[in-house]
Amino acid sequence: METSKPARRRDTEDRRREGLESKVEGFNERGRKAVRDRKLHDSISLFTNKTLTGRNAQLGAHPDAPELRERAYRTKQETMANLDYYLSQMADAIEERGGNVFFADDGEDVVRYVGDLARRCGAKILAKSKSMATEEIELNHRLEEDYADLGLEIVETDLGEWIAQLAGETPSHIVGPILHMNKERITEILSGVSDEDLPPDVESLAAFARKRLREKFLNADIGITGANFGVAETGTICTVTNEGNARLVTSVPPVHVVVMGIEKVIPKFEDLSTFVQLLSRSGTGQKITVYTNFITGPRGEGELDGAEEFHLILMDNGRSKLLGTEYEEALYCIRCGSCLNVCPVYRQTGGHAYGSTYSGPIGAVITPLLKGDKEAKDLPYASSLCGACTETCPVGIPLHDLLLKLRNRQVEEGMAGRAESLMFKGFERTMKSPVAYKAGAKVGRLMQKPFAKDGSIEGAPGIRGWTDFRELAPLAEKSFRELWKEGI
Amino acid sequence: MADRTKFLESIRHRTRRGRYKPTKSPDSVWTPGVDRPGREEIEDPPARFIEELEALGGHGERAESLEEARDYVLDLAREREAELLVRWDVGYLDELAADEPLREAGVEVALWRDLPGLREIAARADIGLSTGTWAIAETGSLVLEHGPGRGRSVTLLPPTYVAILPADRVLRAVPEAIQKYARGTLPANVCFHTGPSRSGDIEMSLVVGMHGPGDVHVILIG
Ligand code: SF4
Repeated sequence: METSKPARRRDTEDRRREGLESKVEGFNERGRKAVRDRKLHDSISLFTNKTLTGRNAQLGAHPDAPELRERAYRTKQETMANLDYYLSQMADAIEERGGNVFFADDGEDVVRYVGDLARRCGAKILAKSKSMATEEIELNHRLEEDYADLGLEIVETDLGEWIAQLAGETPSHIVGPILHMNKERITEILSGVSDEDLPPDVESLAAFARKRLREKFLNADIGITGANFGVAETGTICTVTNEGNARLVTSVPPVHVVVMGIEKVIPKFEDLSTFVQLLSRSGTGQKITVYTNFITGPRGEGELDGAEEFHLILMDNGRSKLLGTEYEEALYCIRCGSCLNVCPVYRQTGGHAYGSTYSGPIGAVITPLLKGDKEAKDLPYASSLCGACTETCPVGIPLHDLLLKLRNRQVEEGMAGRAESLMFKGFERTMKSPVAYKAGAKVGRLMQKPFAKDGSIEGAPGIRGWTDFRELAPLAEKSFRELWKEGI
Repeated sequence: MADRTKFLESIRHRTRRGRYKPTKSPDSVWTPGVDRPGREEIEDPPARFIEELEALGGHGERAESLEEARDYVLDLAREREAELLVRWDVGYLDELAADEPLREAGVEVALWRDLPGLREIAARADIGLSTGTWAIAETGSLVLEHGPGRGRSVTLLPPTYVAILPADRVLRAVPEAIQKYARGTLPANVCFHTGPSRSGDIEMSLVVGMHGPGDVHVILIG
C-alpha cells in the first residue's frame, strides 16, 4: 500500500528531537529555514501570482462583487446566530431523503464512525476527494492505525493531494496542496510507485496518475468527500473541483460519506448563488470550477449509479467554541485560499512552516482558536498586520483584527515574552490615544536611531523576536502629520 | 458517539449566551467605486455560451436540426476512431436516431439501462452522449440532472463527451440556473459541468482530461 506511515513517524521523531511537543510549535524556526529556500520561493510565487492575477481579473470584472461579499458576510452572520436551527433542518432534510446523519464532537468520533462503517460494509478501498476537514483530523492515518485489522487502503484522488500522500507530506496550501513541489520532485515521487522511471513532463505524470487512480475509483467501496457548502433547507452537499474527482467519488462507489465542518452550512439553496460565484473567482480565478456538483442524499428510485448509502458527518472539533465570541467571524471562511496568496509572510515561508492543516492568515487565526493558544502561540505573530488578507477575503473576515485580538489574548494570559507584552500593551494604548501616538512616534524616532540600518530596523531590544522575522519599517524622520502642519 | 439533542443544545446555548455580535461591515475596499464595470447584457445567450466554452478548450456547435447534430456525432465518432459509445436512455436521444448509423459505421452503442456490467461498459466507452437540462451562457456550463436512464458515469468516464440540447435552454447567468432548483424537490444529483476536466497541480501547468473527459462537445439545436 502506498501510504505514509513511516513519514509520519519521522515527523514525530523530528519534533521530539527539536524539543517540541506539538507540530504547530516552532513556526519561527521553520519559517526562518523556509525563508532561505529559493526553490520554495519560486514555487510559491508561481502559484500565488498566477492565482491572484486570475482572482483580480474575475472579481474586479464582476459588477456585483461588492454586493456578493456583503451578502456572503450577512448570510454567514445569520447562519451562525442560529446554527442549531440550520443544522437540525439540514439533518431532517437528509434523513427525509433516506440519508444518515451523524453528529461528531471531534475527530475521534469521525474516525470511529467511518471505521465502523468500513467494517460493516467489508470495505477495502476508500477513495477520498480533497477535504481539509479530514486533513484536520488526520483521518487517513488514524483509520489505518485504529482499524489496522481491516487492511484499509485509503486513496486521495485529487492529483496534488495524492502526490502529497505518496510523499508522506501534508498539503501546503488549501487550494494548491503541492504548490511547494517542483516537477523534478514530483517525477521522483511518482516514479517511486511506478514500475519504470517516468519522464519529467507534466502530461506523462498526469497520465500515470490518471490510470492508477481510475482503477481506485472503479473499485472503491466507499467514497469520502468534504463539503464546500451544505444547504440546510434541502440537505444538499455542494462540492467544487476541476479534476472531477469529487464527482467520481460520489458517482461510482456504492457508499458516500461526507465529512463537513458545522460552519459550512448555509440556509437556502439560493444562497449557493452568492457563495459559488465568490469561491471559484476568489480561489482559482475561474468564473466557475469545472464540476460544481450538488448531491442531495442517496441515489433516487430507478437510478443506476450514485451512492446507494449516504452518510453526512457534521463535525464540530472545536468550532462551536467560537460561536457568540469575538472570534466568530473566523467561522465564515469558505477556504478559498486568497488570504494565503496575498500574505507577505505566507509568500516567504510557505504553508508547512505553520505546522498546521490551515496556513496563512486564516490558519494563524483558527489554529490557536481550535487547538489552543499554547500549542499555536507563534502563529498570531506570523503576520505583518498589513491587512492584505482582510482586503482580499471574499466573505469579509477581518483577519488582521482577529490576529491582533489573539495577540492581545496571549498577553493577557501572560504568554508573550515580557518585553513584547509591554510593547503590545503600549501599542494598544497608543493607538487609542492621539496624544500618546504623537509622543510615542517622536520617542520612537529617537530610539530607533541606533538600530535602523538600510531602511529597516534590526535587533532593537524588546522587539528582537519580531524583527528577526519581519521587516519593521523605521518611522519616517517626520511624520505625515508633522509635515502636513508645516505645509509640506 | 455524540447525541444529536445534546450536540444541538450546546450549540444553541453558545449562540444564545454569546454577547458578541459581529457588527462590522466587510472592509470598505470593495465598496463600489466610479470605475466599477457596468452590468453587461448578454444579447445572444447561445452565442455567448459557445464563446465561453471554446475559451475553456471545449467545442461548442450550433446545429439547425437534430439531423445536423446526428452528422456531427457520426463524424466525431469516426474522427476519434470510437468503438463504443454509451448514451443516456432518454427520448430526445432516441429522436436523434444516431444509434443505427453509428452501428453501421462500426461503433457499438450502449444505452444506460439496467444491464449487467453497466459500469464497465461506461468505463470502456470512447464516447459518452447525453442531453442537458440547461446551459449557462456566462460561464459555458451545462446543467446536468441525473435520474433513471440519465447516468452520471456517462458524462464522466469516457474520454470524449457530447451533450445535445435545444438552444432555447441556454440561461444567461449562474444565479438564474441556481434559481431553477431553489423551489421544489431536487434530483439526487445536479451538476454544473463546465468544459474539460483539468488540473493545475503540477507547477500550474494545465492538464486536460484529468479524471473526467478532456474532449467536451456541446451541440445547441435551433
Ligand atoms: S479567510 Fe477569507 S480569504 Fe482566507 S481562505 Fe477564508 S474565505 Fe478565503
